[in-house]
Amino acid sequence: MNKRVEVVLIYQSLLGLYGDRGNATVLMRRLAWRGYEPVLTAVEPGQPLPDTGDVYLLGGGEDAAQVSAVRALKTDGGLYRAVDRGAAVLAVCAGYQIVGNNFTVGYQDEVISGLGLLDVTTTRGPVRAVGEIISRWNGRDGNDQWLTGFENHGGYTRLGRGVKPLATVEIGVGNCNDGTEGAVAGTVIGTYPHGPILARNPALADHILGLALGHELAPLEHSEINKLRRQRLARVRRSYARSR
Amino acid sequence: MSAMSISTARLSAATYAGRLAGAASRMAGRGTGASIRGKVMLKLDPRALGKLLVDKRIAIVSGTNGKTTTTHFLAAALRESLGPEADRLVHNADGANLHHGLASALSEHPEADIAILESDERVVGDLIKLGRPEVLVLLNFSRDQLDRHHEIKSLGRSWRAALSAAGTDGPVVVANADEPLVVWAALAAKEVVWVDTSTTWTQDSSLCPECDANLIRVQPDPRAGQDADWYCSGCGLARPKGDYRVESGTIVDRTQHVWDPQLGVPGRFNINNAACALAAAELMGVEPRTALIGMRKVTSPAGRFATAQFGTTTARLLLAKNPAGWAEALPLAQSATVVLAIDSAAADGRDVSWLWDVDYERLAGRTVIATGRRAQDLAVRLRYAEVDYRCIPDLADALAGHPEPVDVIATYTPFQRLRKMGRV
Repeated sequence: MNKRVEVVLIYQSLLGLYGDRGNATVLMRRLAWRGYEPVLTAVEPGQPLPDTGDVYLLGGGEDAAQVSAVRALKTDGGLYRAVDRGAAVLAVCAGYQIVGNNFTVGYQDEVISGLGLLDVTTTRGPVRAVGEIISRWNGRDGNDQWLTGFENHGGYTRLGRGVKPLATVEIGVGNCNDGTEGAVAGTVIGTYPHGPILARNPALADHILGLALGHELAPLEHSEINKLRRQRLARVRRSYARSR
Repeated sequence: MSAMSISTARLSAATYAGRLAGAASRMAGRGTGASIRGKVMLKLDPRALGKLLVDKRIAIVSGTNGKTTTTHFLAAALRESLGPEADRLVHNADGANLHHGLASALSEHPEADIAILESDERVVGDLIKLGRPEVLVLLNFSRDQLDRHHEIKSLGRSWRAALSAAGTDGPVVVANADEPLVVWAALAAKEVVWVDTSTTWTQDSSLCPECDANLIRVQPDPRAGQDADWYCSGCGLARPKGDYRVESGTIVDRTQHVWDPQLGVPGRFNINNAACALAAAELMGVEPRTALIGMRKVTSPAGRFATAQFGTTTARLLLAKNPAGWAEALPLAQSATVVLAIDSAAADGRDVSWLWDVDYERLAGRTVIATGRRAQDLAVRLRYAEVDYRCIPDLADALAGHPEPVDVIATYTPFQRLRKMGRV
């Protein structure tokens, strides 16, 4: 069995505002703990994006950074080739918006065309969504179904026919206050929450690795992560109930 | 009564009411009462801050990290030069730097004619407009409390707009030449004194604030005589040449005189802060020699770097509020056991995702205690960093019973609680 797994962290200088590099840290460790040989490739604009990677990660960033990143990714083309090969993509927040069909930036709501990897469209929402979010991962049950994180986005995202929502919102705004959160098409996943999301939701981390490797992975038990999940879910639900 | 005396009477009444509220809060054990005092004042007289700033020589210090320490340096430099007249100076020494905190501090010393004030990044524009400061020190910009600020650049834009609007009535700006967003904002000022600090935190400035093109960074190479440098690949924005510079732990002033700072606070970043304070002091008329004598007396500004006793445990308190701050604080924590206190109250930023932008991996091999209300988030971060730790959420328990002195690094809210517990 090929033990080498390549995680590609895309443009940290542009899309690394909210600790989303932690998603790479989490994937690397979870691979190493299972005996794989993870390789981290951090790519900056101007450098060629390898199309041989197994998992590609995009994180959050400001408007200008988003525009700069989407231009560089289009010029490069490596991400398209990787997705065609079946690589997994996790795109968070601004990253989620740029893998969509298009999104708007600035107070003039300038429309920027995205990568088109997910059939979603983002426009500026009525109020910025800032706060803890809990959602229910569609098709999952047990403790793993709860996805916890912190959302912070001004754009609201509407899903097209080519995608399915990743999750159903329990507390928070999610895509556009329509009860859905994130989007999935094939091996590409877009989502809003930071945390980073894979640190707070290890089952999602393993699901992404499973997509990349082509088979499910046996779970790893880490009491501190379970404890953090219990604590976050309880505290967020309690403060939400109090605010009602 | 004339309009003027009505205005003054209103300020007096507001100040008096504020004092009563502050005293009540203090007696109820809710802190110093400074914040509530200012809030009551501004409620009764919304124009109190502007009135309190009238007829004073003013210097303002702002930036993401180092405001409090730099303001203490600058105030100490001026006090040194004032000698027996040091009470002419007012300074918001406790770090309360929003409108009400500033109003409160100023109202405590209404007779002072020199004000040395640290200002929250969002208040700088108002202070330029209301107080017509002589000097404005702009230290740095980095990600901090993103749940509130969202965009770092919008703060820079507000500074730039306020400086442009003030024109020739505006302050002389002392600015860190290594921070592109600070440079861009400062360029709107009538005059700038540049300080070359060789700042190493570059993660929050990859695009040009003027034209959004990529910024090019040149890494320092001491052997080739190459300093750190940056310039824009799209427009003419580039790192200005420093009037003052920090070089191998010394400060070189504009006459090329080299000063050994010998500060009472640790860390390379505090030498940068001192260089900015030295430049500002000179603009306020204080000679560097005198300024440094004063600055060396600063040892624990608003509790930072203070050593405190917690039962039998001796602990040194370090504040770190964001990834740039942690990058400076972590190397200072040298004790065998290190206590890290994390919270997510409003003042800390409610999103703790930033924990993953901090290089906790460097603590491998040490004994780490995770504490504070978000200790569990840190525990998970440390697990992935493969750093051994114990998770003790209660601050007092986390600090109890250490036979050797410990260094504590805390975010804002637990830091303030620790100051209170340790009486520093």
